[in-house]
Parts: sequence; structure tokens; C-alpha cells
Amino acid sequence: MRKQFEGSDTDAVSSLSLDIAAGSIVALIGPSGCGKTTTLRMINRLIEPTSGRLEINGRDVIQEPVTELRRGIGYVIQQGGLFPHRTVAQNIATVPRTLGWEKGRVIDRVAELAELVGLESEMLDRYPDELSGGQQQRIGVARALAADPPVLLMDEPFGAVDPIVRSRLQDELLSLQQQLHKTIVFVTHDLEEALKLGDRIALLNIGGVLEQYATPDELLRSPANDFVEEFVGDDRGMKRLALRMVSQLAYDRGPVVDIGIPITEAAKAADAHGTDWLGVLRGDAFAGWVRVDDLRNGDALADVPRVRPAAQVTPASTLLSAMELIMTSRTSVAVIDDDGRFGGVVNLDSIRKNLSSEDDS
Amino acid sequence: MSVFGEARNPIIRWEWIIDEWDQIREALVQHLELTLLSVALGSVVAAILSAAALRFRMLATPVTGFTGFLYTIPSVALFGLLVPYFGLSRLTAVLPLAAYTLLILVTNTLAGFAAVPDAVRDAANGMGLTPTRRVLEVELPLALPYIIAGLRIAVVSTVGLVTVASIIGQGGLGSLILDGLQRTFWTPMTIGAVLSIVMALVLDGAIFALGRLVTPWSNRARST
Amino acid sequence: MIGGVLAQAAVPRDVGVFEFLFGAEYWTGAGGILTSLWDTVVLCGAVMIVATLVAVPLATVLAHHGRGELSVTWMVTLSRAVPTFAIAGLLVPLSLRRGWGFEPWPIFIALLLLAIPPIYLNTYTGVRGVDRGVVDAARAMGLEERNVLFQIEVALATSVMLVGIRVAAVQVVATEPIRAFLGGDGLGRYVRDGLGQNNDNLLLAGAILVAGLAALTGAVFGLLRRALPPGVRRIR
Repeated sequence: MRKQFEGSDTDAVSSLSLDIAAGSIVALIGPSGCGKTTTLRMINRLIEPTSGRLEINGRDVIQEPVTELRRGIGYVIQQGGLFPHRTVAQNIATVPRTLGWEKGRVIDRVAELAELVGLESEMLDRYPDELSGGQQQRIGVARALAADPPVLLMDEPFGAVDPIVRSRLQDELLSLQQQLHKTIVFVTHDLEEALKLGDRIALLNIGGVLEQYATPDELLRSPANDFVEEFVGDDRGMKRLALRMVSQLAYDRGPVVDIGIPITEAAKAADAHGTDWLGVLRGDAFAGWVRVDDLRNGDALADVPRVRPAAQVTPASTLLSAMELIMTSRTSVAVIDDDGRFGGVVNLDSIRKNLSSEDDS
Repeated sequence: MSVFGEARNPIIRWEWIIDEWDQIREALVQHLELTLLSVALGSVVAAILSAAALRFRMLATPVTGFTGFLYTIPSVALFGLLVPYFGLSRLTAVLPLAAYTLLILVTNTLAGFAAVPDAVRDAANGMGLTPTRRVLEVELPLALPYIIAGLRIAVVSTVGLVTVASIIGQGGLGSLILDGLQRTFWTPMTIGAVLSIVMALVLDGAIFALGRLVTPWSNRARST
Repeated sequence: MIGGVLAQAAVPRDVGVFEFLFGAEYWTGAGGILTSLWDTVVLCGAVMIVATLVAVPLATVLAHHGRGELSVTWMVTLSRAVPTFAIAGLLVPLSLRRGWGFEPWPIFIALLLLAIPPIYLNTYTGVRGVDRGVVDAARAMGLEERNVLFQIEVALATSVMLVGIRVAAVQVVATEPIRAFLGGDGLGRYVRDGLGQNNDNLLLAGAILVAGLAALTGAVFGLLRRALPPGVRRIR
């Protein structure tokens, strides 16, 4: 899919050109007055571009009837923009009914969507203002998805809800996206949100000037200019850590031994890694740390006092949380799989190596 | 048929105005008197009702409900209802006219006080003003633009209703209208109608000007 | 001072107020209350229909396009200050000259000018007051422009609009009786005749009829509001 705006409204957005890959999420972000909302609204032509082209799947849609175009593009705004005089079900059914779907199909679709976004079925007959902000936002998403449009536009979709609900809605959107693979363009003023949700981020400056269009990691690793660098802030290294997961690290098993081996073997393993700590495994599971100094006092490894709990992370933990644990523990960090199996250890060195590597895969 | 009328019964016969000037002046004075009396009485009652509603919050709904109810009573009916008790007197005219002003006066007064910023009220309390002085020196002046706006509408609508009061024989410009109607003589009708509209506009302008004099801060705010 | 061209209802002086109001013989017949009531209802109904047909489309279209904000300020003043008696008085000579008679045109036009401001005002503010986000969302979902206007903006403004129509209707019904003093009849005739004949019972009965119809009008609109679809009704 390809979208392109050129030389539209001289002040609002000037010569902006964006290619958006189908099935990806793109965040539009920038200071107020940068034209990010204008850009979004040009995609469904709520604002007509002064000039330029708008292509979806290689088809120029500027000449298409605007209502046809919009029915193929979902639109979600802050607080949902729900119709207060229509029930939740009627709200969700708006586009299918406009498209002339038969009644049974509409009802089935509404039920399906309600389940998809996690709405209980008894809420369908209520009116929007009887529901919480988070629920209204879910209805807004369900309504936008009703006719299964390939493209979804979101204008500060989670701006009106409190931080806890926002974070949950963001997670829900990501898991929805894993099932649906929509092409999503969203506007936000929240860099954390853009980094969390966006596959790519378009950072705009006043007048709709595209300063950088890159993956979150690329944006943080190599800002294109001073503006970008200032916008992402001077803790961009830490922000990158928040984007990456432990599973992306090239970690090794570290100084670990099975609990059944002789003490002497265990001491050799510690020497080989140059540490004065040693991990003990019982079968696949991590059993705790022992001090190398303590090995001299015991006959069997099982008798040596072990330190538990040890700092633990899962493969899905971010590098940021891993690093936080490393900073506060006296050893490297144990990596434990979800089902309790030992995976390996992560330390500052492996994190540093990961950050300096060029790609984030 | 000319727009300016036939020779014998034109819309306006100018000589008549000169010949009957005394009658016209009398009607004008009566009209003005009835208007001012009614608005004055209405203002006093509205002030008491508003003060009560502001002092005792629970009275606000009954007070606005009552004044709203008065406003929906047809003027012809209200004049008619009072005639058996007060006769064809000035009181019969003034009571309904005053009653009709209450809705707009009370509504605007309450809105004016409601519009006083809480911060201003807090500051007045913080400086140790007594409640009475706070209301008189801080809240009332700030509510004045609203009250004056209400007064303007009350006066303009009262001028219009005083013409209706002529049906109970209290004179005013409406009596010129009725007089002309009975004699199918158009000049007094036109004069009565036009002068009542002119009087409404003049009084409206006068109160507007007065309002700007007593609330100089709001003009300045508006002009910037 | 009253009489001349005006017809008089012939009711004996010794008939009591309630005797009159509850006497079937005073209701029926050529000069009965029902005839006067019908006169009033027809005139007020016609005024309201025309006023609504003028004010609602005009205000809706202007509000939809965001034009004419200033008209609102004007209508606020006008809605309380239209001098119906003076306007009708001015129009009577013009009407007679054109051969249209004492009524209904002068009083019709004067009442129309009274009815339009509140309807216009409430329609305008109702449509303009619809959340822009909601309108945007409707448009973004590919609703045709006329559906955005009718299914969203007008639907959401209905309740406020209806309040304006109720205010106008009550004012029209309350003001219509002056017609009896401008060469017409209608329900105001009993007040007029009571005054003219110095008949207090007739005067009181007439006043009660006029006030009762105004109260009834308000009540009817209260019921009408309940007839709105539930989703529309809950919007205030």
C-alpha cells in the first residue's frame, strides 16, 4: 500500500510523502501544530488534500466517491465519537447497515465484534454514556472494525482514559492486531505510546515537515537531526531498552552446574567463567545461587547454602526491566522460561552488545 | 390604490398628529408610566426572590418554576382575571405586567451571580470581607452585566405588553390602536404601533448606555 | 370604548362562571365555546406549522454549515420582545386596504413573528451543539452528507428543538386572544365581551378558558416528548 500527499495546504502539511506497509502500524507524532491530525484526516478525506495523491493498494482513491472510500477505512477518535442517541449495538452496526447487509448478518457481526473487543453482550443494548471511558473506547474500535476495513485510522484513540486503562487498551490493540493484521495509522502526542504500538513512527515538525520516518529502534538509535534528537529526549538509550525483549538477546547459559555433580567439578566451572557465584540446576529448573567460597565447606553441592530468590526474568521481559534487576542484584540475571525451565543468564555485557548491534531482530 | 393610502383614510394623516398632539402625548406619558411602574415593581419583587434563592439554595427551583409559570399565563387572561377584583384600574394593569418581568429578571440575576468566579469569591472571603459586604461590593457588581441584560429584555417586552393593557382602559399607546380600530381610522393605529416600537428601542438603548456607565470594566474587556 | 365593528357574544349577566364553563348549551351551537376554541386552535396550528416549516430548515441548514452565529443573538432578544399587538395593529390597515379583511392575516403574521424566534433559536443551538467528534465520526464512516445531517445532527437536536417549539406554541396560544380585540374572534372573545358588557362572570370564564388552553398546550408537548424514540429522548 502506498499513500502520498504532496504540496497540500501550504501551512498545515507541506509535501509529505509516506509509504505504509500493509498490515503494519504507523504512528504519527510531533509537537502541536505539526499537522499530524490533518495528515490522518486527509487519508479518509475528512480534509481534502489540496493536491497530491492518495493510493491504497496502488489504486488512486482521490477520484473515488468519498463515502465509498470511507466505508473501507475504520476511524477511531478520542472518547470514541459514539452516537449518544443509539445503543451500543446500533453504533457498532452503523457501517454494515449503511452497506445494506441483511439483518441476521449484522446481528452476528455485532456479537462477534463485541466478543473480539471484550464487551459483555448485555452492554449491547445500553447507551454509550452509561458505560465507562474504557468501554466506550472499545466500542469505538468495534464500530470502526465492523465492516472489516483493511485500514484503520485512530486519532489519539487512548487520550481520554486514565494511564492504567490506556495501557490495557494498548495491549488489547496489539493482540487484536496479531489476529487481524490491519493497516493502522494513529496519531498520538505520547512518545511512549508511539514507541509501544508503532511498527514505524513518522515524526512531524511544524507545517507537516517529515523529520524522520523509521522504526522505533532506529528513531532512538540514530535520530536523523537535532530536532528528532531533542524530541526523543536524552534517555533514548533507556527507551530503546524498553522496546527490546530478553528473548532477542544472544545470551549464554553462564556458570551453572547440575546439583548432582561433585563439588570439585563445580569449582572448576566457576573458575572457567571467572565468577565467584555459581548457578545450581535441579533437572531443568533453576535452584538458586551458591558462593564459590562456600563450596570449600561442603561435601555435596546439595548441602551448600543457596541464595533464593534470585533475580528472574522471562523471555518476554523488556531489557529495561532486566537491566533494572541486574543493577540491584549482586549477580547476573537468571533467565527462566515460563514453564520454570532454565534458559540462560543475561548480564550488562549482553545487553550492551545487543544495543550496539545494527538491527533489532 | 397607492401604498401611501387613499385620500380620506391614509395610513398616516399628518395633520391629525398636529391636531391631536395632546392626545398622543398623553398616551405616550401613560405608556411610559405603566412601563416604568411595572418594571420597577417587577425589579423589587425579582430582587427579593433572587436574594431568597441565592441565600437558600433549595428555594432556587421553586422560585424559577413559579416565575416561569407566571410567564405562561396569557396576558389577556391575567388582565381578565384581575378585573373582577381590582376593577379597570392601574393596579390591574401593573400587577400582570410586573409578574411577566419576573422570569427574565430572576433568571438573569441568578445566572449573573452563578457566573462570579469561585476564585473571586474565595479571594473576597480570604481578605476578610463579611458576607454582606462580599455580596454588595464584589458579587453584585460582577453580576450587573447579566442583570442589566435582563432588565433590557424586561423593559422591551413590557412596552409591548402595555399596548395590550389598553383593553382594560388604562390608556397608553394601545388605546390609540384600539381607538383607530373602532373608528376604522388608520392614523392613530399606525401612530400607536410605531411609537410603541420606537419607545421600546429608545428605552433599550437608554438602559444599555446606563449599563455601560455603571460597569466600565466590562466595556473595556469587551473592546479589547 | 369597545364595540363598534366587534361582534358581541350574547350571554346573560346572571350566568355563573362554572354554569357557563360546564353548561353544554354554551359549548355547542354557532356561537358556542367549541366554535371559538376551534377558531383559536386552527389559527395557532397554522401559525405553528408555518413557523416550524420556516424556522427549522433555515436554522438547521445555517447551523450545519456553521453560518449565521449572529442570528442567535438577535433571536435571543426577539424571542422575548416581539410586540405582537403593535405589529398586528400596523398590519390591519394594510390588510383591509388589500381587501383581506381584519383577519386572519394581520394576527397570523404577528403571531408568526412571535413563534419563529424560539424555534429558530433552539434548532440552531441544538444542531450546533452536537459534539463535533460525533459528526466527524459519522462522516468518517462514510455516511452520506444528508444522513449525517438527518440521522445524526437533527436526531440529536430533536429534543432541544422540541423545547423551542413548545415555548413558541405556548406563547402563540397565550397571545392569540388579542385577536378578539383586533376585529376577530377566537377564545379571547369572552374576555372581550365580558369587558365590553361589564360582565365579570363571562370575563372570568373567558380568562379561565384562555389560560387553560395555554396550560394544555404545554402539557401536550410534554407528552409529545415521551413519544420520542428512547435514544433521542434521553439527549437534553
